[in-house]
Amino acid sequence: MNKLGGAIYEIHHMDEMAEKDQWLNRIHPLVKLILTVCYIAVTVSFPKYNMEGLLCMGVYPIALFILGEIPFRDSLRRLRIVLPLVCFVGLFNPFFERQPVLALGGITVTTGMVSMLTLMIKGIYSVFASYLFIASTSIEKICYAMRLLHIPSVLVTQVLLTYRYISVLLGEANRMMQAYSLRAPNQKGVHFKVWGSLAGQLLLRSMDRAAEVYESMTLRGYCGEFCYAAGTPCRWKDYLYLGGWCAVFLFVRGRSIFW
Amino acid sequence: MYAGRASRQEKNLRKELEIMSHIHIAFNHVNFSYEKSAPILQDITFTAHEHDSIGLIGANGVGKSTLLKLLVGLNLNYEGSIRIEEIPVAKETLPKIREKIGYVFQDSDSQLFMPRVFDDVAFAPRNYGLPEEEVKKRVEKALAMTKIGHLKDKQIYKMSGGEKKLASIATILAMTPDIILMDEPSIALDPRNRRNLIHILNGFGHLKIIASHDLDLVLDTCSRVILMHEGRIIQDGGAKEILSDKELLESHGLELPFCMQGQSG
Repeated sequence: MNKLGGAIYEIHHMDEMAEKDQWLNRIHPLVKLILTVCYIAVTVSFPKYNMEGLLCMGVYPIALFILGEIPFRDSLRRLRIVLPLVCFVGLFNPFFERQPVLALGGITVTTGMVSMLTLMIKGIYSVFASYLFIASTSIEKICYAMRLLHIPSVLVTQVLLTYRYISVLLGEANRMMQAYSLRAPNQKGVHFKVWGSLAGQLLLRSMDRAAEVYESMTLRGYCGEFCYAAGTPCRWKDYLYLGGWCAVFLFVRGRSIFW
Repeated sequence: MYAGRASRQEKNLRKELEIMSHIHIAFNHVNFSYEKSAPILQDITFTAHEHDSIGLIGANGVGKSTLLKLLVGLNLNYEGSIRIEEIPVAKETLPKIREKIGYVFQDSDSQLFMPRVFDDVAFAPRNYGLPEEEVKKRVEKALAMTKIGHLKDKQIYKMSGGEKKLASIATILAMTPDIILMDEPSIALDPRNRRNLIHILNGFGHLKIIASHDLDLVLDTCSRVILMHEGRIIQDGGAKEILSDKELLESHGLELPFCMQGQSG
């Protein structure tokens, strides 16, 4: 499978994961959305030297990986581009904050090192929380939850259609690359002379396909407002799940403030 | 005697009006082109009635798909007049017109955009504000009609070309349309699914227009045929007469249906 084919496969695989009939997937999307936002807000609110509190916050992603039966190794592979970027954010802290905190063996740990680690952990946790939300909730349900929060329809539809058109674009690009490689068997990659025409073709084809998809939508009554399946209302299990996790977040965060 | 003639005239007029009221589609001297120098449709005039089943045939690029697209208002800058149930096809009437018409695209990938079959088939009923119970009923009925009930929860990207085609047809059946338009419906179908499609089309009692190169399918499903060539209607008549006219078909880039080729030889 080539790179583009792999990317399409990954998108479809994520869709499949989100559609699985599983305990975590059955939690109301609004509850999961609120929890994800709360978790990220609480995580980033920790002081930059509070390593202990942050480590305790790790319980949420760990629990979700287990409850949702989401493979951790696959997740790391999917996030291999994002995670290093997130870690890069705090990389310069050790150079600016050099006050020693403790000595581990022969190495002096400075405040800069601690703040770098906490920044990295905050970033990693936030990425994991978002990933776990997406992996356990289909895009339609995410958009439905956003509408329940009264996020404007235009924005929500943008999110939904952008997600749908990504696979359309990748599909077109994949077909073009396959056609190219079959007629240029000895070439590695695409020759620079045809970059322009390939990119232009891709744009035109994608526009055509997107126009056809849009026509198909309008022919079936679409007029700017996506009608989502009215999901089941929040049940007591959903409230319990939300309340339970909020209590954990408040306890961990409150502990670092009051004790 | 005078009174008798008057009543006969009245009867004729009533009959004419009755026929008029059952006219579902009326094309009147329609011309269409993207550029003035290259006309795509020229002087298209025909009417279609409530229970007509019309096969739209012609070689590649004669304007069959364009004609279907004009009917659902996907191209609006035409000359002449197009009316669907007496409603002119114009920007402001499109929602009303599109509610009556189910259009099956040539390429199923353009028609199906939701992740699962159920969601795609439910897309139109939900847009028309039906309660979820009714949506479910309609979806199940449409899937049963196309015999793909078992694919209800299947991811669309995992489906074969034939399954996608049947799912596309189900998406429009769920709208319970008065008119069905199909652009090359038998493409990608294996013989069994093709027979299934013929069965579905013959079971649909309302007006249907099928643009296809599959003349055997047209012969099996349509009682009337419109033959097009270079953007014009060349012949409009009974399916059997037109589809058995070897000379006529060959002079317009077509061949006799397979089932008739043995007979003519």
